[in-house]
Amino acid sequence: MEQVRPTRMELMLKRSQIRLAEQGRDLLREKMDALIGEFFKILNAVSNTREELEQVAKEADLALMIAQAVDDPVTLKSAAFATRRSITVGITGKNIMGVPVPVIEKKRISRHTMERGYGIISTSGRIDETAERFEAELDLLIQLAETETAMRRLGSEIQKTRRRVNALEQILIPELKSEAKYIRSAIEEREREDIFRLKKVKSILERKKKKVKEKKEAAK
Amino acid sequence: MRSCRVNEMDWGYINARMRGMKSRLLNKRALDTLVLQPDLASLIAELEKTPYRDEIIEAKVRYSGVLCVEYALRKNFTRTFQKILKFVREPEAERYIRIFLHRWDVQNIKTILRGKNIHIPAEEIQDCLVPAGELDEATLTELVRQPDVRAVIDLLATWQVVYARPLTESYPTFAKSGDLSLLECALNEFYYADALEQVKPLSYNNGLIRNILALEIDVVNLRTVLRMIRDQVAPGEAKKFLISGGKEFDQEGLDHLITLHSIEEVVEELKTTPYRFLADIPPPAMRTQKISVIEKQLEKFLVQKGVGAFTGDPLSVASVIGYFWAKYNEITNIRIISRCKTADFTVEQLKEELIYV
Repeated sequence: MEQVRPTRMELMLKRSQIRLAEQGRDLLREKMDALIGEFFKILNAVSNTREELEQVAKEADLALMIAQAVDDPVTLKSAAFATRRSITVGITGKNIMGVPVPVIEKKRISRHTMERGYGIISTSGRIDETAERFEAELDLLIQLAETETAMRRLGSEIQKTRRRVNALEQILIPELKSEAKYIRSAIEEREREDIFRLKKVKSILERKKKKVKEKKEAAK
Repeated sequence: MRSCRVNEMDWGYINARMRGMKSRLLNKRALDTLVLQPDLASLIAELEKTPYRDEIIEAKVRYSGVLCVEYALRKNFTRTFQKILKFVREPEAERYIRIFLHRWDVQNIKTILRGKNIHIPAEEIQDCLVPAGELDEATLTELVRQPDVRAVIDLLATWQVVYARPLTESYPTFAKSGDLSLLECALNEFYYADALEQVKPLSYNNGLIRNILALEIDVVNLRTVLRMIRDQVAPGEAKKFLISGGKEFDQEGLDHLITLHSIEEVVEELKTTPYRFLADIPPPAMRTQKISVIEKQLEKFLVQKGVGAFTGDPLSVASVIGYFWAKYNEITNIRIISRCKTADFTVEQLKEELIYV
C-alpha cells in the first residue's frame, strides 16, 4: 500500500482499472458458461462412445477367443501377418471458444474380407468376424481419441478460465478496491487537514488582525 | 493272388491299429470331465491322465497355461500322424495321410510368405510354424531366413518343392498388384487339384479319398460363397476363389450360387442338397449375417461325414479317414475347452461352443 500514490489521478486510474477488471471477469464468466455447455455436450458423446466401445471390445475379445479355440492361434496369428498394415489418420483442428481441438478425419478402418490381405479359401468366417469386431473397435477408439482430446482441452480451459475469474474476483478487484479506498481516505484525510490548517491560519490571521486593531485603538 | 493276400493282411493290420488308436481317443464322458474342471490348472492335471500325458509334460517345460495345452495338442497331432505313417505300408493309406499332412506345408508356406511380405522378424514367423508336413523344421528355418517373398519362392523352386509351381506362376500378378492373397489362393487351389490328381486312378480306396476331398471342397466353396455374398463381391471377381472338384456343386452350380443376393437365398437354394440342415439355423443368426454360425454347421457336417467313414469297409482306407477326422475333432474340442476355461465360461456356455462332441 505504501507504493500507491494517494493522488486523485491515481484514484481515477484505479477506478478505471476496477471497471476493466469487472468487465473482464464478466466476459470470462460468460466464456466459462459457454465452455461448460460445450463440455457437457462432448461429455455425453464421450460417455456414449465409451459404453459402445466397452461392448464392442467385449464382443471382439469373445470372437478372438472363439477363433483361437477353433482355428488354432497359430493360424490366426498367421492370418494377422497378412493383415498387419499401418493406419493413417488425417488430423486437422477447429476452435471452440478459442480452444483448439483436433478433428480426426474418419477414414473407415473396417474393411471387406477381400481387402484384408489374407486368402479367403483357407481362412474362416470366424477370423473375418474377429477382424471385423477389432476394426470396429479401432474405429471407435479413433472417434473417442478425437472427442476425449477435445473434452480434456475444454476441461483444462474451463479450469484456467475459472482460475482467472477467481483471481480477478478474489484478488485483483478487492486489491484495486482497497487501494482506491486507501487513496480516497488519504485524499479525504488530506482535505480535512487542509481545512483544519486553513481554519488555523484563518484564526491566526484573525487573531493577528484583532491584535493590530487593539493596538491601533490603544494608540488612539 | 499272393499279392492280393498281402494287401488284405496290410489293410487288416492298418484297420486293427486304427481302431485300437480310436479306442484311446477321449470319449464323451472323458470330455465332460474336462469340461467340468474348475480351472485351467486342473484341466492340465486332468489331461496328464490321458494319452496327452507325455506331450503335456514336455510342454510344461516350455510354456504355461493355455499355451502349454495348445503346444501339447499340436505335438500330439504331429506325432500321431508320424506314427501312423511309420506303420502304414499301404500306398493308398499313406497317400491319404500325406495329402492331409500337406495342409501343414501349405499353411507354413503361407505363414512364411505373409511374414516376409511385411518383414516380420524371423523368430516371430518361426513361432507360427507347425512342422507337421513334409517340410521339416530345418527346411522351414531355411525358408524363413530368406530376405523376401521372391527368394522364398526361388528356394522352393530350387528344392523342387511342388508348391513352387503355383507360386512361380502367380508371382508376376502378385508383383504387379502386391496382393498376397493371390499367391495364397493359387497355393490352396493347387493343394486340392494336386490331391485330386493323386487319387485319380480308379480304385475303391481312391474313391473314398476322392469322396471326402470333394466333400471338403464343397464345404470350402460354400463358405467362400457365403462370405462373398455377405461382402457383396461381384460374381465375376468371386468366381476366382472357387475351387473345382466338389462333390455336390459343379462350376455351373457354384456360378449360380454366387449370383444370389443374400445368405437366406443361398440357404433356400441348398434345401434340395445334403446341406438342407442349414435351413434349421435360427433366423436371427441369418439376419445378423453371422457366417460363423453357418460355418459351424458346415464343419460339423464335414466332421460327421469324416468320422462316419469308420463304418465303411474295414479293409480299406476308410478307417484312416475316420481316425483323422475323429482326432481332428478331439483336438479341436480340447482346444475349445482350454480356451473357454481361460475366459471363465460357464459349463453351459462352454458346451454350446464345443462343436463336434
